[in-house]
Amino acid sequence: MATRQQHRPSGHQGEAEFQWHTGVHHPTGVPDAIEFIKVYKAFGANHVLQGLDLGLPEGRISMILGPSGTGKSVCIKHMVGLMYPDEGDVLIEGQSVPSLPDDELFEMRKKFGVLFQDGALFGSLNLYDNVAFPLRQHTEKGEDEIQEIVMRRLHEVGLGDAIAKMPNELSGGMRKRAGFARALVLDPKIVLFDEPDSGLDPVRTALLCELIKEVHAENGGTYVVITHDIMSARRVAEHIAVLWRGRIVESGPTAELLESENAFVRQFLSGESHGPLGMD
Amino acid sequence: MVRSIADRAFLPTRGLLEEVGDMVVLTGRTILSALRPPYPYGGELVSQFLFVLRLVWFPLLITTVAISYGAPGIQAANFLRLAGALDRLGGFFVLAAIREIGPLITSTVVAGIAGTAITADLGARKIREELDALQVLGVDPVKNLVVPRFLSLMMVTALFDLFALLFGLFGGILAAVVNGQPLGPFWATFFANTTTVDLWGSVLKSMIFGAVIAIVCCYKGMTASGGAEGVGRAVNQAVVITFLANGTFNYIFTQMLLATHPNILVIK
Ligand SMILES: Nc1ncnc2c1ncn2[C@@H]1O[C@H](COP(=O)(O)OP(=O)(O)OP(=O)(O)O)[C@@H](O)[C@H]1O
Ligand SMILES: [Mg+2]
Repeated sequence: MATRQQHRPSGHQGEAEFQWHTGVHHPTGVPDAIEFIKVYKAFGANHVLQGLDLGLPEGRISMILGPSGTGKSVCIKHMVGLMYPDEGDVLIEGQSVPSLPDDELFEMRKKFGVLFQDGALFGSLNLYDNVAFPLRQHTEKGEDEIQEIVMRRLHEVGLGDAIAKMPNELSGGMRKRAGFARALVLDPKIVLFDEPDSGLDPVRTALLCELIKEVHAENGGTYVVITHDIMSARRVAEHIAVLWRGRIVESGPTAELLESENAFVRQFLSGESHGPLGMD
Repeated sequence: MVRSIADRAFLPTRGLLEEVGDMVVLTGRTILSALRPPYPYGGELVSQFLFVLRLVWFPLLITTVAISYGAPGIQAANFLRLAGALDRLGGFFVLAAIREIGPLITSTVVAGIAGTAITADLGARKIREELDALQVLGVDPVKNLVVPRFLSLMMVTALFDLFALLFGLFGGILAAVVNGQPLGPFWATFFANTTTVDLWGSVLKSMIFGAVIAIVCCYKGMTASGGAEGVGRAVNQAVVITFLANGTFNYIFTQMLLATHPNILVIK
């Protein structure tokens, strides 16, 4: 098995902090749809991404796993051009996002469906209009057709009866499922899910995982799912990238990651309390 | 070490300068996207306009009558009585109410009522990631949210300036009557000193006050961070910055108006 050894951190505090970051990238056999090349991003003194090298294969369901606060949501915002790297580059299907002019960026974003961490529903619109919004914005479809698509997506996530509710009348989990429906309504080429499973009960989490797999099997496309939940990862991921302290610890096809020798990866994927990852 | 001390001393100033720079950039982008087609912001513009109108008219009415009656009315009347020139109250009103107090009260009331509402609203949307979601769905927040607020606040402040002048005048008349003055001399000196420059100067100034309020409040809302607390902080900062900016601008505007129209310096 050939592994591509990527650059190792060098210099001052790097050694100890990044000792588990082998950066090993097991080959996937398909080109990467999304690539991060040595991306650095800091907010003031808070260095979030510290030379992130990441490749997510085209047409697969990839999962980015990592402890809370390591910059997973920040990664997603870089992919859609809502944040720009301080250094480095982000490529979507070979196109450099940070160097796109505004109008091309708006065009490029049409490839994406995004589920934000808290659903990000529009507070002034009811559930139905929220899910219909992308269709009205980007397609010429008539209201009948829109209704059919919206209702199908809402039934899939179990919200068919709540269409007239406003977002502030929904529970966190319901908002998330509604955001999920909205992200998929345009059948986008690349779908980004920021923790679709947090705040859901175990049964709903399992159902949602099934749904992700089904929708992916039906439409294809590159899916990126961010999660803490190892069970979800085992169930749906075809590719896993483990992110910690702003760098990839190890990434590759699920089977290989689950067999990893890396102590951090083993700890994280088995959810144990002893190992390199502590509360700090 | 030296660097961190320097950072601590200068970072706040640098942060402030950066924010001012960002607001200038936002102003430019707002004007550009207001002019460049398409124009999807019509509906939002009307609803914002009516929203501000509904919220502001009554507090503004009370404030202008009370302040005009209190400050130039009672206080100036006392002073003019000393000089035996109470009939000049009308002329003084032009200086005080039209040129200064009208626009300032209008902008203060609009900033306090409508500006804070804008920052709170946009801030909450920012925190809920609604603004991010809009952008990803191809909706430009500047064109669709900032432009309508910018235009409607400019229109509203201009309109309310006239409204404030009218009710301010009412406060002045009240002061003259209370002082047992006939209204003839009040009107005579009032009209002797009013020029069209005074009127359009007042309206123009108010419009720019409105533009400043809109930009500062939208900017602060759209850059809010740190949860619900962050929205509260943003609202507070928006009001402080608006008052500072409008105070500074008022001084510059008054000086420029007087320099370019020296005839209005002469009090008749
Ligand atoms: N707009 C921002 N301004 C300043 N700091 C930010 C901003 N966005 C994120 N951060 C910081 O970046 C770090 C990573 O945040 P991020 O939201 O990406 O974490 P995460 O990996 O998604 O965590 P979680 O699993 O809890 O959602 C945090 O320390 C956060 O405070
Ligand atoms: Mg997150």
